[in-house]
Amino acid sequence: MSLATKVYKSFESVVGPENISGDPAVLRSYMYQPFGNNKGVWADISPEAVLMPASTEEVVAIAKLCNRHHIVFKAMSTGWGIHNLPGVEGAVLLDLRRMNRILEIDEKNMFAVVEPHVICMQLQVEAMKKGLNCHIIGAGSNTSVLASATSVVGYGPDGLSMGYSGRNLLGVEWVLPTGEVLKLGSLGADAGWFCGDGPGPSMRGIMRGWEGAWGGLGVFTKCAVKLFHWNGPPELEMKNAPPNYVLKEPINFFRASLFSFPSLDQLAEAAYKLGESEIGYFICRLTPSFVGLQMTSGKNYVDLWQSGMMQQVLKYAFLFVIFANSEREFDYQQKVLAQVLEETGGQVSPISETEEMQEQTAITVLKVDAVVRSCFRSAGGFNTSFGAMDTVDLAINQIKAGAGLKEKYIKRGVIMDDGGDNSATLLFEQGHLAYTEVLIMYDHHDGESAQGALEYLAESNETCLKQELGSPIFQISQVGTGKHGVFGPACFNYDAWLREIKKQLDPNNTCDPTAYISPDE
Amino acid sequence: MLLELNDYVGDMKRCARCSICKWPPLAQMKSWRFSQNCPSIARYNFHSYSGGGRMALGLALAEGKLDDVTDELLNIVYRCTACGACDSSCKYNSELEVLWSIYSTRAHLVSMGYFLPEHLMIIDSLRKEDNTLMQPKADRGKWAEGLELKDLSKGDQAEVVYHAGCLYCYDPELSPIARDAVTLLKQAGIDLGFMGSNETCCGSMAFQLGFQGDFIKFAESNIDDWNAAGAKRVVTSCACGFGIMKAVYPLLGKEMKFEVLHITQILDELIKEGKLQLSKSIPARVTYHDPCNLGRNSEQYVPWRGVEKKVLGQFILREPEKVVHRGWEGVYEPPRDIIRRVPGIELVEMERIREYSWCCGAGSGVKLSMDDFALWTASERIKEAESVAAEAIVTACPWCERNFKDAIAQSGNHLMVYDVVELVKQAL
Repeated sequence: MSLATKVYKSFESVVGPENISGDPAVLRSYMYQPFGNNKGVWADISPEAVLMPASTEEVVAIAKLCNRHHIVFKAMSTGWGIHNLPGVEGAVLLDLRRMNRILEIDEKNMFAVVEPHVICMQLQVEAMKKGLNCHIIGAGSNTSVLASATSVVGYGPDGLSMGYSGRNLLGVEWVLPTGEVLKLGSLGADAGWFCGDGPGPSMRGIMRGWEGAWGGLGVFTKCAVKLFHWNGPPELEMKNAPPNYVLKEPINFFRASLFSFPSLDQLAEAAYKLGESEIGYFICRLTPSFVGLQMTSGKNYVDLWQSGMMQQVLKYAFLFVIFANSEREFDYQQKVLAQVLEETGGQVSPISETEEMQEQTAITVLKVDAVVRSCFRSAGGFNTSFGAMDTVDLAINQIKAGAGLKEKYIKRGVIMDDGGDNSATLLFEQGHLAYTEVLIMYDHHDGESAQGALEYLAESNETCLKQELGSPIFQISQVGTGKHGVFGPACFNYDAWLREIKKQLDPNNTCDPTAYISPDE
Repeated sequence: MLLELNDYVGDMKRCARCSICKWPPLAQMKSWRFSQNCPSIARYNFHSYSGGGRMALGLALAEGKLDDVTDELLNIVYRCTACGACDSSCKYNSELEVLWSIYSTRAHLVSMGYFLPEHLMIIDSLRKEDNTLMQPKADRGKWAEGLELKDLSKGDQAEVVYHAGCLYCYDPELSPIARDAVTLLKQAGIDLGFMGSNETCCGSMAFQLGFQGDFIKFAESNIDDWNAAGAKRVVTSCACGFGIMKAVYPLLGKEMKFEVLHITQILDELIKEGKLQLSKSIPARVTYHDPCNLGRNSEQYVPWRGVEKKVLGQFILREPEKVVHRGWEGVYEPPRDIIRRVPGIELVEMERIREYSWCCGAGSGVKLSMDDFALWTASERIKEAESVAAEAIVTACPWCERNFKDAIAQSGNHLMVYDVVELVKQAL
């Protein structure tokens, strides 16, 4: 126990002895964080203790103790990625796992109020019982609803019809770095959870800005998120054996198909037209490697890749899903889609038309439950690059830049050969926004591979600046102390604003400065 | 040895830390209330108490990143029923050997001289009395008195050996179930015998707690005894025994001249052949609890031994191909088929079933060494049974039955607990 005994006891009196630990074994298990790590799986810095508060009151008490004793604190929800750990020595980690309730599902006003450890799948299954559905981020339904809404990015392919997490955020309860509780939106005017921007204070920009403060600006203890109409059954029953669970009964007016195009530019044109036509439930850029790894693994995958079949049938492809409310609407959307494809040279990929693929794709689209297969299973290490949210054109330019850049690293053999173009996600909000990420797979335990991946990520960041491709979604927040530095001047000196927000809301610098921004220049 | 921590370093290094091990396969989640799959993380909450957390600690031990073995480390390692739910969920996406990494971590600690004092009592009892329950060896066969069962340890021969298992032998409330099982088999004309007071523990608890030398001794001795008895089939009522005999015994490399069956498999067979006819009505709405060691943990385990090659740059290809144990090949249908054939019974399913079933809480020595955790876990299952308005929970494992009965007694609940065998006996 490295924390002074008196301080440890104070924390213990807040959360109870069962919910605090400074034991080396407990701390070591939290230090295992491969995603975002420069090399290997272990974080360099250990928290001094892990605390598991069960309520806003306990979070407030912890924050006040931290301010009094000048101890840095950092909160995590499901904890996937090294950014969940404190980036400075001497800090305490708040694992919010015990704050795990769905507090309300307001059927009439179509929103849910959740605590930090509610995962997307928990919310979805409860929402579906009431004829509602929720946005699930691309990382998967095993992630926290609140974290992506308040603190970290929040994009996913069902965003075509259900927006993205930051946009879906309504009322928020926020424990500031000082321990004061701030209620945002309608909640701040005692008017309930229904709105994020008023009546009551709207601080969405300060609270999360473009991509969130990554746990570096207090603790979000409750929030409301928008829910969306769900026209399917209240419970989705499965059949078949793992890992190929599929829906027992097909869903009415639901169709998922992969479309490939002669060029990326024609794919972009189709995306624009689909956005303008305001049809579709889900759209995702899918590449031969990503789809292949969803379908198979090990030698079967290698054989499939080396056959070249996937590369041929899925060159410049996306997955597009129609989920309509009636037969008439379904027919209409199909007709519009067919017209767009005709105008842009899109072809239905034959592999998506088999019954097996239709079944498997449906469950992957609805549940977003198999991302790990494509991202982590092949080489162990995974990271992502580019990803500024803007227009389809920018997304396409990101893909071109990323694929070109990756070629060099694939030739060096330091990242997995996925064909270079391995990007995911595309349109949001019926085409008003778009973004894509360029994925890389590598062996994080292999020094040369890990170093190669780091070099690629650094070069992709530089490319974002040089080619004006926007701020990369993950890299900007994973580089620790000094981050934002090169991007600030390129983006209206936004870092100066962040620094001012930090100084005002966190005068004692008790929230992890490596997660948000350091108060010092 | 069977369990070498270094054999699992490759798996432990490639956990993505995605936390999918903490939930049922996501596509199978049906409600918030019953959305957890691992009793350990559900009860103790620290990430350390999950499959992923334990893999991290196994890796830390293998890499020498933990200076001391603290009491809390032992709590983390042993407050786990080894139910394998984490393993099934992980393999939905990642194909890592989570459960065998946990077993190997325990074996590693035991080899360093670290275990819980309560576990030493269990192992001492095994060594001295051939059972895990600190009961005299001489009393092991008493449960069968009056059944006129052939004692194969005295030179008799039979086609089928019945292995009751420690708990059915010594728990007076449960022993009648073993008697019922034997009665049913004999009634169906099975040529049956048992090992009398020379029956010994299957060794599953020793294996799961990391005492692999003791496990091997018991397993080899059982295989030798059953081979010597000339049996074609070994039938056990103990799901833990069945799981270890199916999944791990074959790894010892000894010829097994017999087929291993769980009592529900042979009863199902006999009912379908018309040798047992269920005619009496039992009007009840029941639910079935899948014992972990009858279900997902009873798939024969094939350890991967090979080389990892890099292809396509950094794609890691295992040669030979790894056999992935997803828990799907367990015994799920025979007990359900039996229940469905009982006149008057309505079988309703709980949310967490088959390869993603919630554990009863008793496994891997937890019932004997940390009963509060066992009872908490059982109480969660009882609430799940109540949520489907079941009047009774039916299972096929003495440890599950014991734990459910204790949890129900503690809570004052009115849910009934039945073994599948009891239903068959009543319905004849």
